[in-house]
Amino acid sequence: MTTTSSNHWDIFCAVVDNYGDIGVTWRLAKQLANEFSIKVNLWVDDLGSFAHILPTLDPASHSQTIQGVTIKQWNQPLDLPYSPGAVLIEAFACELPDEVKTRLAPVKSTNPVKPPVWLNLEYLSAEDWVEGCHGLPSFQPNGVDKFFYMPGFTEKTGGLICESDLFAQRDAWQADSANRLSLFKKLGLSGIEQHHKVISIFSYETEALSALCQYWAKGSEPVHALIPKGRSFNSLQSLLPCDIDQLVPGQQLSQGNLTIHVLPMTDQQGYDRLLWSCDFNIVRGEDSFLRAQWAARPFIWHIYQQEDDYHLVKLEAFMRLYCDNLAFESAEGWRQLNLAFNQQRTDAVVEQWQNINSVGVDLLAHAKQWPIDALKTVDLASRLVQFVQK
Amino acid sequence: MKTAHEIRPGNVIMFNDSPWVVQKTETTRSGRNAAIVKMKLKHVLIDSSTETTFKGEDKMDVIVLERLDCTYSYYADPMYVFMDSEYNQYDVEADNMGDAAKYIVDGMTEECQVTFYEGKAISVELPTTIVREVGYTEPAARGDTSGKVMKPAKIVGSDLEVMVAEFVKEGDKIEIDTRTGEFKKRV
Repeated sequence: MTTTSSNHWDIFCAVVDNYGDIGVTWRLAKQLANEFSIKVNLWVDDLGSFAHILPTLDPASHSQTIQGVTIKQWNQPLDLPYSPGAVLIEAFACELPDEVKTRLAPVKSTNPVKPPVWLNLEYLSAEDWVEGCHGLPSFQPNGVDKFFYMPGFTEKTGGLICESDLFAQRDAWQADSANRLSLFKKLGLSGIEQHHKVISIFSYETEALSALCQYWAKGSEPVHALIPKGRSFNSLQSLLPCDIDQLVPGQQLSQGNLTIHVLPMTDQQGYDRLLWSCDFNIVRGEDSFLRAQWAARPFIWHIYQQEDDYHLVKLEAFMRLYCDNLAFESAEGWRQLNLAFNQQRTDAVVEQWQNINSVGVDLLAHAKQWPIDALKTVDLASRLVQFVQK
Repeated sequence: MKTAHEIRPGNVIMFNDSPWVVQKTETTRSGRNAAIVKMKLKHVLIDSSTETTFKGEDKMDVIVLERLDCTYSYYADPMYVFMDSEYNQYDVEADNMGDAAKYIVDGMTEECQVTFYEGKAISVELPTTIVREVGYTEPAARGDTSGKVMKPAKIVGSDLEVMVAEFVKEGDKIEIDTRTGEFKKRV
């Protein structure tokens, strides 16, 4: 290996939660490559999981270029050559391989004017402290400063990932109601009519989901719950006629007015379109949480559970921002619904679901305005490029 | 080596062959229970301060410097004066006190640790918990004894304001965690 520096960017991602971390980093890598013509190497430690959201990926190939991004297998120890570029990003505070860290210092000493910009891309949070930590250096033993890059909802944070043409694509999609039915058909989901309520569900385990499904089953209108195989179904075992392992994509399970559809896995564009096509989305973690906001549809955020219920602090911080321009009654209904879902309060979640029905129009209008207000014209990738240039 | 999570105001850490005294630490929680520690550092040898962040598990060298148990004597602008058991006095610049300054009150008896670098007192580390008297706080709302509802309270002899449990009254003595500034309990 030689000590050369070039203008490429390296992003390291350790897959922790199947689709969340890799979902965010893959979107960022694509956007940097496609909108900023940056040569990006995306190092991923679990190509098998990655392949679920990128079906064209070959998990057996150690290096491949897809959609302008070079995807590399990150083994421990690193068995592909690493050459420092202009930027090095450790996604979500993942621990970089020693081979990489030791390679950084020589670059700095041979080229003291322009060392590689080393960033820790952190998790998205709406909490106030994020502004105070965004962009701060972090002293490192190898002598190269690392910077904390904090995504966020305010001008003083790192912004939110959003492709430049995303809203235009979404608007065009939602303008033609035939798109949603054709998407459902393409996904192998049958029996959905234009006037039916369709809800996508990508959550962690929670009894609140089971309670909602039971309520929808007894309701007066047809509801279709679209759920991929995974953790959501762990909470629905009592409603299933078979073991979760035996579920197959496209399978339908009916109970009263509720039809549960087992969703096939889809790529990121397909998932965006699914969110755009549903009347309501239940999402989790970070990537689907943000995409649900961009979908301009009402949603529940099932946040990743933390010790001492700290996730509720993060949930409250986001809800405060989201509800800022929302009428009190609508805001309170939506807030209580999210709280009840996250706290697994089964009676409350059903009660709040009924409550938001009366303010559905208001919530939908707010969901359409929110992406414009939240993005504040500058997305994360653009701010990141500016940050690096500074 | 200590983790960033274990570093306390008053510690002196080495980076790039330079000693930095930690003036303030602020721990927040990122995703998946990971901690982010924000620190305010002051260079021990030159007049330079910086803010920096670490992952909670980042390791760093803490310099073992000469430390003496002292008690606070008085403030002579811009110096805080401390005294050891043999009545020797040591001046610590207000700039070097960091977060410790806000807990200093006249007549306090808690033993503090004064740290020296090349003979100069450069920082003060307070005990993990200290007891202070509440000077002013709003009366409690009736009925709440859970300790979960919090309200602000001003501390006697300082500008310090702490969020305390609803049941705390004026004149109460409370225990405060000096690492986080959090109310621990009524004593």
